[in-house]
Amino acid sequence: MYYDLNVPYDANNHSELQQILAFLAELGYNTIALNHTISGKVPENITSQIPSPLPFSNPSSLHILRRCTIHLSDPAQNHRLNHISSVYDIVALQPTTEKCLQLACLGFECDLISLDLSIRLPFYFKHTTLAVALERGIKFEICYGTGILNGDGGASRRNLISNATQLIRATRGRGIVVSSEAKKALACRGPADVINMAVLWGLGQERGAEAIGREARSAMMQAELKRRSHAGVIDVVYGGEKPEGLALENKETNAKQGKGKRKAEVLESRISEGDVLSKSMSKREQKRQAKKARLEVAKTHQGENESTHKDPAAP
Amino acid sequence: MVRIKHRYLLVHILYPETTGPNAKSTSSAPAKPFPHLIQFHRPSPNELTPQLLARAIRDQVLLLYGDYGLALISSSLNVKYLSPATSTAIIRVSRDHFRLVWGALSYMTDLPKPSKLAPTRACVMQVVRVSGTIKKAEEEAVRRARGAILRARREGGEGSLDGFLGGLGGLGGDEEAGRGEGAGGTGDIGDEDEEDGMDGESEDETNEL
Repeated sequence: MYYDLNVPYDANNHSELQQILAFLAELGYNTIALNHTISGKVPENITSQIPSPLPFSNPSSLHILRRCTIHLSDPAQNHRLNHISSVYDIVALQPTTEKCLQLACLGFECDLISLDLSIRLPFYFKHTTLAVALERGIKFEICYGTGILNGDGGASRRNLISNATQLIRATRGRGIVVSSEAKKALACRGPADVINMAVLWGLGQERGAEAIGREARSAMMQAELKRRSHAGVIDVVYGGEKPEGLALENKETNAKQGKGKRKAEVLESRISEGDVLSKSMSKREQKRQAKKARLEVAKTHQGENESTHKDPAAP
Repeated sequence: MVRIKHRYLLVHILYPETTGPNAKSTSSAPAKPFPHLIQFHRPSPNELTPQLLARAIRDQVLLLYGDYGLALISSSLNVKYLSPATSTAIIRVSRDHFRLVWGALSYMTDLPKPSKLAPTRACVMQVVRVSGTIKKAEEEAVRRARGAILRARREGGEGSLDGFLGGLGGLGGDEEAGRGEGAGGTGDIGDEDEEDGMDGESEDETNEL
């Protein structure tokens, strides 16, 4: 299972998005998350900007999530993270300053921290700060799409590689999620290519494979548990309900076979219906009767033999 | 006796964009667009030669890794097989530095141009298999080609596939049309063709070693 947790959603360009989804499915991804970005003030009453189900047909093999990324530049502002997490499947933060990154790592409720790695960041990553976030189960995201399209003559690619290696150094390679952030289908790469890129950044083959597999899945599952379950711990997976149709069918067959009634009653009813008794006879009963019959036959034979033997002895 | 060890990268060239020279010619035939599978696995233009692809890879490695990176791979880099009809290539690199070449392939966004005036065509190079022998890479190529034909038939139906390949044949030339019909008809003819082409090359390989 491969995950791509960042595909920007553009309400005005559905044809391009459809193309991207089809291409990602073709490359071998199973789950993708459509991303809506909020920058500036968070609106009062939040509704999901991404329609579900989508208004166009998409590959049936693809599982689609909804994600929201909030630009974090003013830590004093109220971001209504709890409201947002009830509407979207995944909530990500994009801090722009060191202070905001620190706050996102230490306090804010989110699932992903997705720094913009294609620009030169004015600060270093500190392991102590990032380690707190990792402890809380928050993942760090690296988006490779801007580095591939390379609109500004290699600067964004250089920054991406430099920042990615820094991030990997500071997190010791733990809790890294790699996703595409592809605005065009051209910027998407296959899972194996992404793993190779991660190896070139210094993540290692195993960790690279986890970055688009297990780590991404754990981010998704944690977000879902936070939203749905009780205290993020207990969740009802299967309550034991039976489907409606199955229960009805069972009742009918029960009535036919007489299940749920006492055996004697069933027999009585069958006799009254004129049912053949031998049909309902158990194997054991059949055997017993067969043995009885055999014994009787043997007895009569013995009786005859004795009488014939006795005859010549009698005179 | 020490052997020089290589890696063989099996590469698929995919075309994620709908707008291209092919899309224009096919739009006249059916009103319904082709399934995405067939769009992405479009045949490459005939101008794409192994030499051209090798030069494009060298340029990309030079751009990403500089003179040092190019020097490491230039002695071993070789495009062993390139089929424009199936958009498949097998590239040989030395085992120590195959990730360099793979990274360069990942960062490529358009096809190499035969001349400066030719239009750029956006493409994605997807490495689908890395193997130690050319034989395994070849087997995988045949397996994937067969699977792709079956899937295309299932998704698009027989008629649409024929129409697509026929339309291409008119544009690309007689040779491609012949190949296209072969692939649409039995699915085996195209594969045999590939195997013949590559057997010769793998013999070359053993001689060299």
